[in-house]
Amino acid sequence: MKKLLLPLVILLLFAEVTIAQDIEYTVANIPAELKENANAVVRLDQKDIVIASRKSMVITTKSIVTVLNENGLQHMDLSEYFSARNRIKSIEVQIYNSFGKEIKKIKRKDFKENSVSEGSIITDNKLLYCDYTPTEYPFTVVFQSEIETSNTAFIPSWYPIHGFSVSVEKAIMNVQAPADLGFKYKEFNMLNNPAISKQEKAGGVSFTATNLVAYKQEDYSPSFNSYAPNVIMGLDAFNYEGLDGKATNWKEFGGWVYSNLLKGTDEIPQETQAKIKALVGDEKDPLKKARIIYKYVQDKTRYVSIQLGIGGWKPMMAKDVDRLGYGDCKALTNYTRALLEVVNVPSYYTVIYGNPQKRDFNQDFVSMEGNHAILAVPVDNKMYWLECTSQKMPFGFQGDFTDNRFALVIKPEGGEIIKTQEYQPQDNTQISKGKYVIDEQGNIAGSILIKSKGTQYDSKFDYEDKSSDNLTKIYKSYFNNINNLKLKKINLQNNKEEVEFSEDITIEASEYAKPTGGRMIFAINAYNQISGVPQRYRQRNNPFEIIRGFYDYDEIIIDLPKGVTIEAKPENVELKGAFGEYKTELAVINENQLLYKRTYKTNPGYYDKKEYENFRKFREQIAKNDNAKIVLVKNQ
Amino acid sequence: MKKSFLIISIFLFAVCAFGQKKYELGNVTIDELKEKVHPNDTTAVAAILFKKGKTYFDLDFLNWTITTEVELKIKIYKKEGYVFADQQIQYYSGGNQVEVDYDNVATYNLVGDKIEKTKLKKDGKFTEEVNGSYSNKKITLPKVKEGSIIEYKYTIKTPNFITFDDWYFQYPIPANHVEYLVAMPDFFSYNTYIKGNLTIDKTIPDIPARKGKSFSEKRRLYSVDNVKAFKAEAYVNNIENYIPTLQMVLASANISEGVVKSYSTDWASVAKNIYDAESFGGEIKSTSYFQKDLDLLLQNVTSNDMKVNMIFNYVQAKMNWDRTNGYFSHVGVSKAYAEKVGNVAEINLMLIAMLRYAGIETNPVLVSTRSNGIALFPNPSAYNYVIAAVELVNDQLLLLDATTKSAVPNILPVEALNWKGRMIRKDGTSIEVDLMPKMSSKEITNVMASIEADGKIIGKTRQQYYDYNGYVFREHFLTLPKDKYLEEIEKMYKGIEIEEYSTANDIDLSKPLIENYNFTHNNIVENIGSKVYFSPMLYYARTENPFKDEEREFPIDFNYPHHDKHFFTISIPDGYEIESLPAPIALSMEENIGSFKYNISQAGRQIQLTTVFEINYSNVSPEFYDTIRDFYKKMIEKQNEKVVLKKV
Repeated sequence: MKKLLLPLVILLLFAEVTIAQDIEYTVANIPAELKENANAVVRLDQKDIVIASRKSMVITTKSIVTVLNENGLQHMDLSEYFSARNRIKSIEVQIYNSFGKEIKKIKRKDFKENSVSEGSIITDNKLLYCDYTPTEYPFTVVFQSEIETSNTAFIPSWYPIHGFSVSVEKAIMNVQAPADLGFKYKEFNMLNNPAISKQEKAGGVSFTATNLVAYKQEDYSPSFNSYAPNVIMGLDAFNYEGLDGKATNWKEFGGWVYSNLLKGTDEIPQETQAKIKALVGDEKDPLKKARIIYKYVQDKTRYVSIQLGIGGWKPMMAKDVDRLGYGDCKALTNYTRALLEVVNVPSYYTVIYGNPQKRDFNQDFVSMEGNHAILAVPVDNKMYWLECTSQKMPFGFQGDFTDNRFALVIKPEGGEIIKTQEYQPQDNTQISKGKYVIDEQGNIAGSILIKSKGTQYDSKFDYEDKSSDNLTKIYKSYFNNINNLKLKKINLQNNKEEVEFSEDITIEASEYAKPTGGRMIFAINAYNQISGVPQRYRQRNNPFEIIRGFYDYDEIIIDLPKGVTIEAKPENVELKGAFGEYKTELAVINENQLLYKRTYKTNPGYYDKKEYENFRKFREQIAKNDNAKIVLVKNQ
Repeated sequence: MKKSFLIISIFLFAVCAFGQKKYELGNVTIDELKEKVHPNDTTAVAAILFKKGKTYFDLDFLNWTITTEVELKIKIYKKEGYVFADQQIQYYSGGNQVEVDYDNVATYNLVGDKIEKTKLKKDGKFTEEVNGSYSNKKITLPKVKEGSIIEYKYTIKTPNFITFDDWYFQYPIPANHVEYLVAMPDFFSYNTYIKGNLTIDKTIPDIPARKGKSFSEKRRLYSVDNVKAFKAEAYVNNIENYIPTLQMVLASANISEGVVKSYSTDWASVAKNIYDAESFGGEIKSTSYFQKDLDLLLQNVTSNDMKVNMIFNYVQAKMNWDRTNGYFSHVGVSKAYAEKVGNVAEINLMLIAMLRYAGIETNPVLVSTRSNGIALFPNPSAYNYVIAAVELVNDQLLLLDATTKSAVPNILPVEALNWKGRMIRKDGTSIEVDLMPKMSSKEITNVMASIEADGKIIGKTRQQYYDYNGYVFREHFLTLPKDKYLEEIEKMYKGIEIEEYSTANDIDLSKPLIENYNFTHNNIVENIGSKVYFSPMLYYARTENPFKDEEREFPIDFNYPHHDKHFFTISIPDGYEIESLPAPIALSMEENIGSFKYNISQAGRQIQLTTVFEINYSNVSPEFYDTIRDFYKKMIEKQNEKVVLKKV
């Protein structure tokens, strides 16, 4: 009995103290507007960043989040990364119930470790995290941590609101740095926002945001950072994995990257030099030489992810890639650059954000950013962009992973921000020509030749390597408006020179236009129906974006069965507007043959939320017209 | 069922079994390198030319080491096959008892007419510590191109002879030769099971005994040639159930002088051993932690039915499932009770303890979840979940699982609906119990709609979800924020716009969940010429047959029997009259698998339609695939037949 007494006393004392201090965490104190559309409310998110020197940054975090329901769990982040240069000095979590009473405390020793390879072969980043299963909702979690790092090249960005369905009562960011390191920052989407205030001070800045309501996740939303308030920060004089760096503009920064991370990595063994020189032979045209080298790299290497130490930014030695035949994006890009150098074709290592949701480098704010590397090859005032991690992409083809965005091109003399290739709607084409026959039983049989370019090529060129089972699945889903579909022939051709993908397909299906009550009813547009209509929102909150446009043209000849009369057929339709153009024409060639033509072009653009309902209506009309039916009656 | 010490899916061996060089490492030929496509499967991205494994035991000062050596030779045909050039094995590294190593790793290429061999150096081998208990050993093979052949060997040494890793005979790529040799000391006895559709050769290999060991051993060689690639199908319970696999389950071990320890060799002893464990049976016996609370709860409650319901509701409301499975408690029921958080065992064993305390005959039922696969062979890891069963009069069982918040007695999470479970009684005896629901779960939908002259439909829908339908609905939609689930519904019924949405009986689980809403729809009715066409099933008409494949190898899984009834009352616009209605129909499948009835009639200016769609089994054997596909085809055709209206 004696043993039991002591902990009990301590527990009681402890409970008393916490009640007094944490009354502010009660759920009752949350303003009503912050609960709207929110699964969690950030009561306080305070980050204090103190940079003591070029090699020392301490980040102290205190975040208090009230999780309202199960979906809000994703907004409590109870983890920190660590590595050799990134030390967790302290970390702890407390959980409070809705009345502000502490119900659980999680100390550092109860946290778990996990390596974070996420598909990489190897990495030296680790995660310290804790699991918590809530026993009731809502509850409030208090997370506190202190991190010390020597990497001052990356100062965390400030997003007072960091995602969807979470609101913020208060968010604070304080940064303090020695004046001689050149602390700088840039604000986005914060102009005239009365909820956010800023205080400048010598060698630092403070931001405070109060009562920010939640954003909703909505389809066609542009990338979050394009409309949510955020601040990016950096130092002119920084340290990266033990290397000192200094840059006030992209030219200087690129120069630093070149001399510290790229220079001296491009040695190619004599044997390989001889081999590629022989491959290139007497070819003088730099573009043709580059094509030869690119193909050589594609045939010889494969992509594997390796994230070790300085490997976050420094490519593996070109001679190692040569020996091993693999590497990550940096290694393969740098290897290609080194090979091109051997045959006297200049090229530039380029850092970029790779993602179909495009993101730009900031033209006027220098910091270490990007997540991918590609190669820029300048020939006759035109830049060709090579994706060196792909064994299949045609030369100079970018696709939607790196298109149309600002990237950092690193030249020996310094860096330069350059925009990559933009695909216009008329570059992203799909031209379909074909025919189909409907017989007396309503069965359909037909063939179609589909040619795709640009981003439409991008989404298809890997079909040629798919198994026939997978292809069958793909086409059954592409023609999902035709039930009982049988694919009689699938003939694919990837023309890498022209960057054009051809699909030659023969189909048949029973009862596409099954006669009922003496009539046959079927959709004229059998081959290319776009049935999706953008989701309706009772109240649209976010702006919306159509990132890339495209152009489709279909021309289909339709043979009708003998002994029928057209009772009704779809009218010709033409729609024109900001979002694109759509046009269909159905011409009667003779009593048994029709010609259907369809043109559909969409425009890229960034639009205000007020336009969303119009966009939906536009797409709704298209969906309806794409499914427009013809009615045939049997002649008496 | 699998994976205990070593989380690894592939295992093989060496030994020159047939004296054939063909199945040895280091014998790559020019012909093999020249081969452009696999002779039996031209679409294969790569192929296993051979995979040989052997497992043997060594004794060293009373400590056993079990060694598994695996040799692989893989041909890469296409770039998609490069994934096979990156290999990893995850293993239990806590306690430093398990050793994993790769050697003889090399890539072979044809350079001109010469074979070039590139060995893996140190910089292609990685060890990654995942956490305190597990690590990964990884290799990345050098110089891999289309046409390359890669070879490697890995060796795993472990002191754990209780759980044996499964050996697979079929892979996602074709395998020309797969063999597995097991050399088992007479000290141990294992039961061996082979599942799947392949015929595996089993022989006693004619090879000399290993030298320098102090015990005799039994040897078995399992082999199979020309195995085609394994393909997944849709609507399958768990594809792993069908992969041809060798499983070895320890029956007995002569661990020290004359002491033979028996392990589970039949379901009854598997169950008994589990029951006897402190973290299972012991947890059912413990009552002190809840007595006071329960006495208070059951004050003045006399009926057993009431007691069952009250205790179930009490545990379900109080306890929060930490989303981990297992039939053993983790922190213990008493701590779980205090903290209101537990794993499956803690929550359901606590439930059993309380029901027994209240005088209700209740027993635990061991279950293998869908993701764990079907429990085919007796061994402790065949199960990974436990529920409670109340024994009712006339041999009926009431199955209870208090982990999820919207379950009720006899409604289990779909994950737990996996064939059969094993119920253990107080005396340690056990019997098999059927987990699959027999009762049909109803769904009743009423739609009142009117069609306007411009083709717009406006209407009201009331939909009632019973039993499993109610459970699934509550677990899925009611956990979403309201806006979000409306958006999901609008996605499900493309083109609908929903207003005034409400649900009833969200919390009252004894009643069906009811949805009510008003809708408008612009995209169902087609005005073509002077006529109007629409399917009277409106947005409920299915348009796509889910069964697209022409053949089927595995059973078709419907989860639970269901009975969907729809009533439609549709008013036609002024100025139009009905020209034709689709004909009524009644479709049914053999063996009472299911049926679809469609009754339509005209009453003045209204069309009335009743449809009933029934599936009467939880799952159906693939031999009925054609029947089911054809049934769906006809049903979908009927659902899409149109009413024709014409202008008066």
